[in-house]
Amino acid sequence: MTRKNCAPLLITLLAGLALVALACGGSSPATEDATAASGSADAGSSAASTPAAAAPAGSTPSAAPTAAMSESSAVATQAPPVPTAAIVGGATGAAIDSGCAPSADLTFDNRPPQGGTLVRLFADPTSLDPHQIGDVTSSVVVSEIFGGLVTLGLDYQPALDLAESCAISADGTVYTFVLRDNARFHDGRPVTAQDVKWSIERAADPDTLSTNAQNYLGDIIGVDDKLNGDATEVSGVRVIDARTIEFTIDSPKSYFLAKLSYPTAFVLDRQQVENDSSWLDRPNGTGAFRLGVYEVGELIILERNELYHLGPAHIESVRMILSGGSAMIMYENDEIHLTGVGIDDLPRLLDPNDPLNPQLHRSPQDFDVFYIGLNVAEPPFDDPKVRQALNYAIDLPGIAENVLDGRVSPARGVIPPGFPSYTENLRSYDYNPDLARELIGQSKYAADLESGDFPRITLSISGSFGAAIPAYLEVILEQWNQELDIQVDIQQTEWATFLEDVNDRKYQMYALGWVADYPDPENFLDILFRSDSQNNHNNYANPEVDRLLEMARTERDRETRFQLYNQIEQLILDDAPWVWTWFSGEGYALIKPEVSDYFLLQMSIPKYRYIYFNQ
Amino acid sequence: MGAYAIRRLLWLPFLLIIVTFITFTLLRFGPGDPVQVWLGQHQNDEVRQRILDELGLNDPIVVQYVRYIEGVVTRLDFGDSFRFRGKSVAELMAKKIPVSLQLNLAAIIITLGVGIPLGLFAALRQGTGIDNVVVAVALAFQSLPVFITAPVLLLIFALRLDILPTSGWNGFFSPNIVMPAVVMGVPGIAIVVRLVRASVLDVLGQDYIRTARAKGLAERVVRWRHILRNAMIPVVTSFGFTIAGLAGGTFIVEIYFGIPGVGLFTIESLFQRDYPVLMAFAIISTTLFVLANLIVDLMYPLLDPRIRLGAGHVA
Amino acid sequence: MSRNRANEPADATPARASIAAESSGGVIPEGILADGHSYWGLSVRRLLRKKLAMLCLSLIILMYGGALLSPLITPYEYTAQDLSQSRAGPSLAHPFGADRLGRDMLTRVIYGLRTTVIITIVSLMGGTLVLGVALGLLSGYMGRWVDSIIMRTGEVTSSFPDIILILIFVAALKPRLVDAVQGFEDATGIDWIIRLGLLDYAIISVALSIFGWFGMARLVRGQVLQARESQYTEAALVMGASTARILRVHILPNILSPLIVSVSAGLAGVAGSELVLSWIGIGVQPPVPSLGRMMFENGSINVIRNEPHLILFPIGTVTLLFFCFNILGDAVNDAFNPRAR
Repeated sequence: MTRKNCAPLLITLLAGLALVALACGGSSPATEDATAASGSADAGSSAASTPAAAAPAGSTPSAAPTAAMSESSAVATQAPPVPTAAIVGGATGAAIDSGCAPSADLTFDNRPPQGGTLVRLFADPTSLDPHQIGDVTSSVVVSEIFGGLVTLGLDYQPALDLAESCAISADGTVYTFVLRDNARFHDGRPVTAQDVKWSIERAADPDTLSTNAQNYLGDIIGVDDKLNGDATEVSGVRVIDARTIEFTIDSPKSYFLAKLSYPTAFVLDRQQVENDSSWLDRPNGTGAFRLGVYEVGELIILERNELYHLGPAHIESVRMILSGGSAMIMYENDEIHLTGVGIDDLPRLLDPNDPLNPQLHRSPQDFDVFYIGLNVAEPPFDDPKVRQALNYAIDLPGIAENVLDGRVSPARGVIPPGFPSYTENLRSYDYNPDLARELIGQSKYAADLESGDFPRITLSISGSFGAAIPAYLEVILEQWNQELDIQVDIQQTEWATFLEDVNDRKYQMYALGWVADYPDPENFLDILFRSDSQNNHNNYANPEVDRLLEMARTERDRETRFQLYNQIEQLILDDAPWVWTWFSGEGYALIKPEVSDYFLLQMSIPKYRYIYFNQ
Repeated sequence: MGAYAIRRLLWLPFLLIIVTFITFTLLRFGPGDPVQVWLGQHQNDEVRQRILDELGLNDPIVVQYVRYIEGVVTRLDFGDSFRFRGKSVAELMAKKIPVSLQLNLAAIIITLGVGIPLGLFAALRQGTGIDNVVVAVALAFQSLPVFITAPVLLLIFALRLDILPTSGWNGFFSPNIVMPAVVMGVPGIAIVVRLVRASVLDVLGQDYIRTARAKGLAERVVRWRHILRNAMIPVVTSFGFTIAGLAGGTFIVEIYFGIPGVGLFTIESLFQRDYPVLMAFAIISTTLFVLANLIVDLMYPLLDPRIRLGAGHVA
Repeated sequence: MSRNRANEPADATPARASIAAESSGGVIPEGILADGHSYWGLSVRRLLRKKLAMLCLSLIILMYGGALLSPLITPYEYTAQDLSQSRAGPSLAHPFGADRLGRDMLTRVIYGLRTTVIITIVSLMGGTLVLGVALGLLSGYMGRWVDSIIMRTGEVTSSFPDIILILIFVAALKPRLVDAVQGFEDATGIDWIIRLGLLDYAIISVALSIFGWFGMARLVRGQVLQARESQYTEAALVMGASTARILRVHILPNILSPLIVSVSAGLAGVAGSELVLSWIGIGVQPPVPSLGRMMFENGSINVIRNEPHLILFPIGTVTLLFFCFNILGDAVNDAFNPRAR
């Protein structure tokens, strides 16, 4: 498979990314936020890494994009295959629902040099307990230390980790895993099926306080009962023998394996967790690295696990600096091996004559969408014509070009390009101020606009940690003012308050973003637009959309299902409950030339074991 | 004086109760809660309520407050952090406080180390051009916002000259401390210069210096004994304020230079609604404030016999 | 937010100055007491002789005046965007260059200055002067339980981790206030209270005032106590002098210089606090410009290396303003506090 053929496929598979930032409160595209971050304190660094990413990704709006930055834009090699290695196995194209693919891994003609320490800026994980975490920052660290039955390979395909095989029953509801015979914890104890069962039950135990168990394990029969305290066991997880375990899920789910690769399903050492209350200081996981040092707010050192069942890492250790600092300067000073790049540095670095230019890498875009939500229950947004007019009145391509340096692409729908069910055949909104004025003229508020009694509009956005109000929002507001004579005030609110109010559907107009959790259109359309969804913040309710969403949920045929979602997306576009803004574009990162095989991935896939220093 | 100190210390527990209760109440009645922040955009009321119940955050506020105070008073248990799950507040704070303490100490050394000699110098050259220049330059440095001093220092010393590390913390005796301490210490120099200069001039004009001179004491002895003693007042004052300011937060400096101190930690905890950390912060900062003021108050009479304590006017 | 970041030493000034004043002052120089006016006259004359201070005073007046008249003197609208000029450097058309949205930086700096000026005036006037002086006088004159209540309350507010309080206070209150003011605007047809940022100014000023009064109150109280104990005051009372005269002649001179020093130091503190509030996301709302926001948005090494005008002009303005206030405060201190000369 040549590189060229590979690319689109890989993009489709990126879908596998399931677990991207658990949330991105993003009020602005990642790129712009990266800038804000860099602006706020300095060099995209302190802000990018310390304050922002320190927040659970679900937490700060600027956090998620920046956390994403520490991970994705932090280092960008285009797509996994790099010249020195080739992917074997794995990427057999047929996509995610093909289920248990053999692990995709790199092979080398010659064994790469061993040893060395990778140094990077990072942020404090909220916890190292895989069952508790729900943010990217934590899962990056956790997935290096721990592992589960399956993981995601460099191709974003579910790949086998502790399991050496998995079989799916004909009806798609029973998954049978056989554990590798060399699967061991860091202390050398073999991993058994009992360990797996106990770990799933621990994650689903209400005492564990997992925020994600329902989301990621809820498909397994019996998990809900356990979570509600109605059962002591999870009935859908059955130990067959010491190395064989069986999962039963409630209905066939093409994305179940992807969900199972999330830390919520990682395997812990029961003896350690139950007997040692400070087990998190020295967690006994199954991952490629063990935790050497963790000083909150200062440092994490990961040390190579020599027993690792997929082959020990090339590098000796990874040093993650948690106390922040000025990333760009630290990079130029050879104190760290990689950094994200903010918008202010980009023009300089893009100059081919700049000494750092060869170290600049692009990172693929995230699966996200940014938008301005319009509360359809509040005037003037109870009239679809007003909502449509607002969409027509803004020149997104122009703003992307002039204000955001072309680092985003205008969102023409809900589903980002490359994501399952993405289609270009949607009627979207092109810049058309005349039509916008006409629509406003036909709306029931036309007279009010004339007389100056047009309902007041306040745009709520979240901000914290020096998150600037994105420049593009100010341009959009100015364009509404110019084209439609509609004035919009901005109110910035601290993130926790914003969350509470947006969830209570209090806001009339709000800027937000959404990042995919798992590669299925349901993760966008159902979650954000179903009338009774808790993530529907703007009271959008279209019975036809609800009906089609229900149909799509149970539809077994992938093509038909995606067509349903396309239809839903078009209905939503026509109703215009949002003003669409961006899909985040590609990011940039700098990597020192001596670092090889640092893959830029949009998900927290274990990847430090691939890295080597090429001298 | 002892009675004064005891009276002040007895007041501390009441002050702490008031401060902690107000903080506690405000945090819980204020918008947002930690679980909501954990869940981020994936709100799920069922999950949220379950976790709130588990954490005891759905109990009546008085019950929660009493439980908290009981833990603090009887077991010195400040609870576990919500943000860093599984870590106790005491453990987290124990790492952060020494860092801030040392950084503040370094900053105050710079402030006083430069400020006192400059103030003396200016006072002894009173009314000359040099006096004015010293004061004006010190004031100019005081006026510079950290948003320019920090990045410019970084550009010069870390990137261009490459003689100082950009960031991080390696303890008091490491080059990492230099830039943040300078950025924090320099703005205060002007204040020390002004205070030292003023109090030295004040002393110089007093009878006992004239007496001392008249008695034929060497000029040097006069200076050292009387002038410096007076110059100590601002030293003591700023020392007190430094301790109190510890908790306050120098978080912008911490961000620029990657210092794992209390300031940024507290602000982040605030955004995350990490109640136990914030409560501990309130207790620490209140205690430090009271103690620092007390120490300062107690030191004055030692330095300046004219000040009597307990007479009411030094509250 | 009085104990924040680098201006922490600056914030300390009022109290320290008060100590200096208490240790050196208290006793008003002889010869001056006979007639209060000559004290004033002398002091003002001393002040007027300081050239640098006078220059600074003129600059301050110029900046405050310019800021308050910003709509009249700025070349552009502060919202006027011209994307073709994005991040353009200084030129004849834009002496301070243009920002990311091609808005004229000179205009935005002047308006930003207005934000600073309004907030400092309101919270210093409101918090430090009115609240502080009034409560200080009350405390000193009434004594007993009034004194205790005021002083203890002051200790509570000043020993509070005020950033927590302000954040929660503002976060909780602001949405309600915005609703209320919107209702008021809708009812009256006024539409500029929120748009011009007046509500933001008010909220920030009130929040800062709550924590700003105690230093001044304590200072005033100390002076009142001293004046009450002093023989001169007794003599004056015996001679039938009015309270107003005692205030003016015996108390005001003693608190004036620390007052001005604290205003000049408080200015930095208040401006810094405004900035912190913006940083937290509850400050002045765009597009109303704020120097604090401009500084933190652009206070990065990247900007200084690549587009320095975005940061240098706002910072230069702030620095100049602070510097002038510092010089003036210093000069006033010298002039009005003869013992310290």
